[in-house]
Amino acid sequence: MSNVVIAPLLVALVTAVLTLATRSRPRIQRAVSLLGGAGYVGTVGLLVWQVFTNSILTYQLSDWTAPYGITLVADQLAVFMLAMSALVTIAALVFSADYIETFGQQIAYHPLFHLMIVGVTGAFLTGDIFNLFVWFEVMLMPSYVLVVFYSGPTHTRAGLQYAVLNLIGSAVMLLSIGGIYATTGTLNMADLAVRLANPEAFGIAVEPVVGLAALLFAVFALKAGIVPFHFWVPDAYEAAPAPVSAMLAGVTKKVGIYAIIRLLFTVFGAAHLDLGPFGDGSMLLFFGPILFVMAVGSAFLGGFAAVGQRNLDRLLAYSSIAQVGFIVLPLAVVATIPLGDAGSVAVLGGEYAVPAGKSATDGLRVLGIVAALLYALNHAVAKSLLFLVSGTISTTIGTISTDKLGGLTRSRPYLSATFLLGGLSLVGIPPLMGFFGKLTVFDTAATAMNAAGPVGEIAAIAALGAAILTIAYVSKVWNDAFWGTQSDAVLEATVQPVVLLSVVVALALTLVVLGIGLGPVYDGAHGAANAALDRGAYIDAVDPSYTGVHQ
Amino acid sequence: MITHVLAAGGGASVPARDPQFLLAVVLGLLFALGTFLVLRRDIVQVVWGISILSQAANVYLVTMGGLGGSVPIVGHGSHGATATTDPLVQALVLTAIVIGFGTTAFALVLTYRVYEEHGTLDLTELGDTHE
Repeated sequence: MSNVVIAPLLVALVTAVLTLATRSRPRIQRAVSLLGGAGYVGTVGLLVWQVFTNSILTYQLSDWTAPYGITLVADQLAVFMLAMSALVTIAALVFSADYIETFGQQIAYHPLFHLMIVGVTGAFLTGDIFNLFVWFEVMLMPSYVLVVFYSGPTHTRAGLQYAVLNLIGSAVMLLSIGGIYATTGTLNMADLAVRLANPEAFGIAVEPVVGLAALLFAVFALKAGIVPFHFWVPDAYEAAPAPVSAMLAGVTKKVGIYAIIRLLFTVFGAAHLDLGPFGDGSMLLFFGPILFVMAVGSAFLGGFAAVGQRNLDRLLAYSSIAQVGFIVLPLAVVATIPLGDAGSVAVLGGEYAVPAGKSATDGLRVLGIVAALLYALNHAVAKSLLFLVSGTISTTIGTISTDKLGGLTRSRPYLSATFLLGGLSLVGIPPLMGFFGKLTVFDTAATAMNAAGPVGEIAAIAALGAAILTIAYVSKVWNDAFWGTQSDAVLEATVQPVVLLSVVVALALTLVVLGIGLGPVYDGAHGAANAALDRGAYIDAVDPSYTGVHQ
Repeated sequence: MITHVLAAGGGASVPARDPQFLLAVVLGLLFALGTFLVLRRDIVQVVWGISILSQAANVYLVTMGGLGGSVPIVGHGSHGATATTDPLVQALVLTAIVIGFGTTAFALVLTYRVYEEHGTLDLTELGDTHE
């Protein structure tokens, strides 16, 4: 029980209300919004520090004990994701204070932005699946409005598509939650894990839960924009203002990834399922191959489509689809391998100490989740940096079509340098953050190759092919827009956006700092991966009365 | 024969199953109708389809909580009823209805804005204006 858990939520909510109340005074509204953003980063930092120095913190709303009340759980996985989103949030917020025109900021931008943060924070912290649905809706409602923010023909069309797909997703999610409640009799994630691990003791059937979990998984994949649920991504990212695209790619997408890790590995992974010839183990075995195909599909479809794009935002959007493939690929690899098949596991920086009573596959699982988290962090920072650079280009040059851009390196050396850093991080060049993301993804594939054969090999080949595609589209856009002779549009541009430029430079430096000072980040990801797999600790933290029942 | 087995096996729970069966049929029809409308070319019909789909999900939630039993109020269920209805699903549905209300309102406003920007509500024509 700790009040710090709810602090980031309250700060964001209060800021949203205050920015709504100060609409008639744009300067005060902007100051309140930036102050609220700083407060959000501060409270998230406090929560991260508390969770990593002590242990899992929980907050039972209105003191209703789990599983009857709604529980907020801040474990290492949740706070790792929170820290990632806080980093992107503050950069996007400062950027938008200068980027969005004053009238736009005044009418709705700031309240919507902070309400979206409320939804994201709630989704990371909640320990209840119906509550997760509510936070998804809280996150989506402002994002619909932010996507249609400019309200032109292309924006309304993209917004309609985005809204309709996500509304259908919401109905499906509600359906799945209703079914899970009827089958297992609980909505609390920890309680659900306990019941699924001991189906006989609670008199429930595991088989129907597989289908319902698959429905839930489809909804999360829609949020994360994984193939074949990626249709809304390019249009929505192109239509949204640059800082909102940065938030959609850097933060709300990661909510989908988080939900996949949390629900599949922590909750549904508890269930035992006999799939006959396909293996006999946890329910993860059912999702592993599906996620694997989706990950490889995303990496290639996104990569091939990105190479052919002539609009910077669309290129980044397709690249985003490809990068999400990279994020979920290690998750798919470790979910596919049945328990007990792996040998000893060497995790980056030494052997993984397998706790007593657990198989070495747990070590491989830890490695897979670490890879996904490091890659997600790299994608969050690098992709939001690139979207913000694209926004800066559109403000200064007036276009983001690669046909009309050219020779930016000569007139805009700093801006070009930040784009190069972001692009190189996507490719995975040391010492940038992206290198370590790619390294751990390949490490997962290689370790799986030693342990379980074909899955690891296919993953390694797919990752290699997709990495080559990344090099192709990054170097193509660099050649078209930044190198070569200066185009007319570039020559005529005179605007010097100091604030926008300093935000992107700060983000680019963050990529370098995260890469060079990887130690604490890696420890954080490792702790988060352990937390995602340590079901017992999660259940104990939520409901101490279950001690001894689970496993 | 079948009715005989049902009457013998189902016992007292048969009356509670009838509305459940009826609701299963209604749910199937609602989901079919919602899916049909979502696939139409007219945007207003698509919005109707989403609305029906989310309402069908609400009906499904209520059905999942069980329909037998009495009112879940303390001291109200003593007149022969064996159990109270699960009140949790009704709380969930209440939340879902409010969210659905907000999203439907937004979808309708968005439809109007699309009409203002494009001068059409036909999705095929809307797709043609792309690029």
